[in-house]
Amino acid sequence: MLNGSRKNWWRALRSPTARYSILTLLVGGFVAGIVFWGGFNTAMEATNKLEFCISCHEMKDTVYQEYKQTIHYANRTGVSAVCSDCHVPKDWTHKLIRKIEASKEVWGKITGTINTPEKFEAKRLELAQREWARMKASDSRECRNCHSFEGMNTDMQKQRARKSHESALEDKQTCIDCHKGIAHQKPKGMPEEDG
Amino acid sequence: MNKSLVALTALGLFVAAGVGTASAADAGKAPAKKITVFYPGSASMEWVLKGTEHGGARGVKKGDSCISCHVDDRTGMEEAPEFGKKIISGEKSKNTILEPEPIKGKPGSIPVTVQAAYDASNLYLRFSWKHTGFHSGKKMDADNPVKLAFMLEERGKIEYADAGGCWATCHNDVRTMPGVKDTKKTKYAKDGNLGGGKFYDLLQFRSGKGQKPVDGHVADRRVMEGGKALSEARGELKGDTWTVDFTRKLAGGEGDVKLEPGKTYNFGFAVHDDHTDGRFHYVSFGYTLGLGNAKADIHAVKQ
Repeated sequence: MLNGSRKNWWRALRSPTARYSILTLLVGGFVAGIVFWGGFNTAMEATNKLEFCISCHEMKDTVYQEYKQTIHYANRTGVSAVCSDCHVPKDWTHKLIRKIEASKEVWGKITGTINTPEKFEAKRLELAQREWARMKASDSRECRNCHSFEGMNTDMQKQRARKSHESALEDKQTCIDCHKGIAHQKPKGMPEEDG
Repeated sequence: MNKSLVALTALGLFVAAGVGTASAADAGKAPAKKITVFYPGSASMEWVLKGTEHGGARGVKKGDSCISCHVDDRTGMEEAPEFGKKIISGEKSKNTILEPEPIKGKPGSIPVTVQAAYDASNLYLRFSWKHTGFHSGKKMDADNPVKLAFMLEERGKIEYADAGGCWATCHNDVRTMPGVKDTKKTKYAKDGNLGGGKFYDLLQFRSGKGQKPVDGHVADRRVMEGGKALSEARGELKGDTWTVDFTRKLAGGEGDVKLEPGKTYNFGFAVHDDHTDGRFHYVSFGYTLGLGNAKADIHAVKQ
């Protein structure tokens, strides 16, 4: 009985419609596609906004306050990077994968894994290491959306930065190898190999 | 007065004049090099090598010297004043406060002028700096308001001495470091061995009345005597400026680095003011001192 009903549905889906013209179907499908696709991307982009990220106190009271003290938040030229600029890939495929991964954070929010400052501190190293590993695996792709070795004029850098960047190029290092803790506090108990 | 007496007097004057021209070179006439010494707090060699605290640890492990990052080789600008100010005020460096007991009102650094000259027998060093005039009211070293010490090391002997100068003798477990109860353990060099030539030569001027200068060394432990190279260490506060002059024989005995023209040596120095002791000093990064070698950071000129 159930098998018969499934077959009927399948047949109905595969049968040509006698009611709508091809043009109507095309236009309808096109409009529906735009609405769906646009809606999907708009919703995804909405979750990329800083306001979305700090709508949870877990982020607002901790890493956001630290980020506000750094050059990525306020600087001479007024060009700042928000959370997603560093933590979400720009290209669509990687962005989608990252968003799917991030859906686990919803579960964390529901179950309250970092809902107190103490719980957050206890988990800070684990969270940071996961993000450092992601950045390292992508050759610091998000950093490189704005920064590049080619675009750097090391003559305009402080001696320390100039020397470090020249050495990093020689050793084929990537940004996150040295720039951990650039926008947030370094976790306590960080192992030396992460230094 | 007979002729022979006149001749003898003339000869005496001639000899005296000759001795005069061949006598001590004057470091005061040598080119001046400005080196800023700064307050290091508890930044030991272990801290320097800890990548999670010191971003340059990787470079130091590769053999880069402190000054290769912290002194601009194009402009000569030093980072020492900024570091000293941050450390003495108790500001965090990454997650660590390098001075757990910040000292209010004490300057974070002192610019020192260093001049060096040598002749056939001696090295002459002059250090001059403006007196900090800071008084905390405490007297860790009641006998000496001010001390200036410098260390020399034959390059390549002690691990990290080429990179960090005296820093390689400063460790977490020595006296006056935070949490250390031992009041006797002083600076030492890892794998230091006097007989094996792995040591720093240590010379110190002490400003206290009747206080003798120190000619010692640092190997597996610090020894404040036994050197044969130091001829004189003299200092005075004139107006607001301290001037300290050292005369050191090029050669010495055990615990003295033998200095040879053309070669370079690791060199670093420290100033204790306000009757301080132990780690509560101002220190320089590691530099090189060369006799008649213009490539050295501090060029001792021949006179």
